[in-house]
Amino acid sequence: MIVRVATRTPAAFRVVCVAVGVMIAMGACGGDGGTGPASAKITAHSGQNQNGPASAPLPTALSVLVTDAGGNPVANQVVNWSTSTGSLDPASGPTDASGVATTAWRLGSTTGAQEAKATLGTGASASATFSATAGAAPPTPQLVGTVVVPPNYGAHDTYVRDGIAFLCAWNTGLIILDVGGGGHGGSPSNPVELGRVITNDDGVAGGAQVHNAWWFHNPVTAENRYVFVGQEGPGTVGVSAQGDIHVVDVSDLTAPHEVAFFHLGLIGGSSTGTHNFWMDEAAQTLYAAYYNGGVIALDVSGTLSGDLSSRLIANLQPGGPGNTYVWGVQLYNGDLYASDMLSGLWQLRLDRTAGRFTIVSGGNNVPDRFGSDLWLANGYGYTGTWGSIPRGPNAGNQIKVWQLSAPGAPQAANVVSIAGAGNVGDNEVSADGKYLLAVTERGRDEAKGLYLYRLTDRANPTLAAFANVPGVSNQGGGLHTGTFAVIGGRRYVFAARNPGPSGASPPALVIFDVTDVTP
Amino acid sequence: MPAGRSDRLLLLILVGLLLAPGIARAQAVTGDAGAQAILARFYANPVPGGDPLTEFKLVQPLVMLRAGLPAWRLSFIGTLDLEGWTMPNGELAPGDWGEGFVDRRHPHTYVHELLLVGDVVRASESRVSVTAGKGFAPFGTDDPMSRPFVRYPVNHHLAQILERWVGIAAVRFGPVTVEGGLFDGDEPEFPGQWPLFEGRFGDSWSARLTVRPVNGLELQGSHASVASPEHRPGAGLTQEKWDVSGRFSHLVGGHPTYALVEWAHSAEADGFFEFSSILGEATWSAGRHRLAYRFERTSRQEEERLVDPFRSERPHLDNQIFGTTRWTVHTIGYAFSLPIPRLSLDLSPLAELSAGRVDKLEGLFDPQAFYGKTTFWSFTVGARFTWGMPMHRMGRYGAALPEPMPHTHGEVM
Repeated sequence: MIVRVATRTPAAFRVVCVAVGVMIAMGACGGDGGTGPASAKITAHSGQNQNGPASAPLPTALSVLVTDAGGNPVANQVVNWSTSTGSLDPASGPTDASGVATTAWRLGSTTGAQEAKATLGTGASASATFSATAGAAPPTPQLVGTVVVPPNYGAHDTYVRDGIAFLCAWNTGLIILDVGGGGHGGSPSNPVELGRVITNDDGVAGGAQVHNAWWFHNPVTAENRYVFVGQEGPGTVGVSAQGDIHVVDVSDLTAPHEVAFFHLGLIGGSSTGTHNFWMDEAAQTLYAAYYNGGVIALDVSGTLSGDLSSRLIANLQPGGPGNTYVWGVQLYNGDLYASDMLSGLWQLRLDRTAGRFTIVSGGNNVPDRFGSDLWLANGYGYTGTWGSIPRGPNAGNQIKVWQLSAPGAPQAANVVSIAGAGNVGDNEVSADGKYLLAVTERGRDEAKGLYLYRLTDRANPTLAAFANVPGVSNQGGGLHTGTFAVIGGRRYVFAARNPGPSGASPPALVIFDVTDVTP
Repeated sequence: MPAGRSDRLLLLILVGLLLAPGIARAQAVTGDAGAQAILARFYANPVPGGDPLTEFKLVQPLVMLRAGLPAWRLSFIGTLDLEGWTMPNGELAPGDWGEGFVDRRHPHTYVHELLLVGDVVRASESRVSVTAGKGFAPFGTDDPMSRPFVRYPVNHHLAQILERWVGIAAVRFGPVTVEGGLFDGDEPEFPGQWPLFEGRFGDSWSARLTVRPVNGLELQGSHASVASPEHRPGAGLTQEKWDVSGRFSHLVGGHPTYALVEWAHSAEADGFFEFSSILGEATWSAGRHRLAYRFERTSRQEEERLVDPFRSERPHLDNQIFGTTRWTVHTIGYAFSLPIPRLSLDLSPLAELSAGRVDKLEGLFDPQAFYGKTTFWSFTVGARFTWGMPMHRMGRYGAALPEPMPHTHGEVM
């Protein structure tokens, strides 16, 4: 053995030991625990006396108002939330400039009365108590089919039409499945692969990165020849993106092949990349969200081949430079609505003659959270929220409900809380307008999965069913996207399941039969 | 490898380490063993959410074994790291990141090094060696555990590539050493996990040039191409890494003195993402006392966080990040060495104070909102316990080590 320092005296050893002990015992400073007036009062502000299913999130967030002795709102006062049943998200947080602090409550599993309490972080005895009544837990949709995909990173989205599913499986490519309409014996419970294609990487690092698709049924030519595929390349959220639109010829579903592409160049010095699509099929126009590139309209009439750059009709960054990162678009009542992660929900209008978009209304209307997907139906809009990193203190645990005015302007109408969710990454209203789906990922395991809401009152969605798709220790799992499909008279949801950590469960397309829970 | 099998292998290695000195004597084989651990209290302010946090932990608990078979020109290097048991949730360290941890330094895998080194040529002026096993790729600077500070630098994942299956060839002639290595790109996801060999070994490579112009001074430049380090199955982006450093370790005026200056750079997605670091650190010892100072400025990618804000999502689902931040950290340290020769033991009380700031470079991640402020400080107080042989320079094997192999404790630790 090698000994490297000279011998010291026992006295010195004792001194040092004592010094170390004292230093370790000293520890360090504690937290400030929040500061505020000792006489602050806390009162229930909203969310009192709700009814909801057990083990499910209450739709309305709980909020308290903190005031001083003079009745003035107190900002930046830490409020701690607690309950003996269920969970609260967040468990503590500061009051805003109006003196209000909020949390979302997922009820516990027992039926009957439940309570939650808000107390001041100062340790003051003041508190506010909330009551809720839990009914039976929501029914669980039946999982009928699973298509496992390689972990490249996994499945991101599915487009289903006429009994054919187009599964977007990142670098595994676009997988075409007969789920009831392909004539190969497939069904939702027994999908049969017809073909697959790995689209070109177009020089984008990371490969094909097949993210989303739209199967174009062209009413002008009566052809169903093309599938548009979105490539989601590397990017810095809020700043830059990469990835092209690829056009795949599926005249023969068993032999799909790429025939054309569209590339949007730099805007403001930053590369741009595509995200979700919508089509005006009658006008043969493809609309695409383009993250920091905003939105585009693309002429996809006739035969598509090679570089489609010359077919760009219009492009707009609705929030302007530095305030645009568009997640999704939808054409509704002749206008294009865009959900921007940074600047909220916009109503836009395409002027084909002038070759430009104009802003009609909306924008900068979701300051509390990052936005995500959108769906509009029956005079209402529903947008998700994203919170893989929080905006301020807020996770992506809400669905924003919008009422559209007569000219189509989105007006905030309601908020549906999903306690424990990290991202609400996809929304869709069923074709009959009766149900809203939302899928969640990130956040707490018990909050990850498929949520189905009744739209009996379109401004107040109520939970009808929930399928939990957990990860492990709040990591992995959840659903990235989901979409309704009616096949053989039954209603299904096709959803992209995220992988669990360390291979706990593989990524997959999961197919739920929701007919019985969405009558 | 399933967790159960890795646990059994770990047990076998532990038993092997305990029996090795005896076996070595019986077989007339050279051998050396050692161990170390640091018991300390860690304080950081702020942590995610804005509050301060204090923790008491045993970090860097290592059991080391070196054995040699001179007649066969073979040597064995084994290092067990028990952090998976003593600090499964990591060590508080604002700015640190990697392997799914953020603002905490992650625990390393139980088998930190398990290597066989063979000398093909060994002469006075030249040496050629080959190394195989689990350990460090020939890239960058020494592992922070074999450097003077308790606190890991933010640039750990820019400046070292470790815990991989490696195959390394090293050639030294006079003052110049050239190394090349193949390894698997996947970094560990948890302490009991082994690197992937099938399908991954050889998907990544690195090379390092080292020049020692004068005694005590070492200059190195290295490059690595690492395939999908953060996505174990291999779908992630490739990192192109560069590292240049100068290291000095010698007596100055009779005082052991050590200094390191380093520039490290990693690029992903063909340069779409770029992260850089500059670092300088030095120690000066007088008698039992050692003073240390480090400056670091390193950029860090921001990834999605879990419910536990100290953790980031694994596996990734796409190739997006949520921003880039830059961490500027000053650290000062003091340690006092107290040996107990009859036990081959050394006890070094130590204290470190770090202060710095974090700046948003781009993206959605807002340090002010996430931490409540953009300045931070941390404080560590405790003691390092070492027994037996000193820590070797983790990251260099065979011909890549200076001759004779330095016992760095006296000059560095």
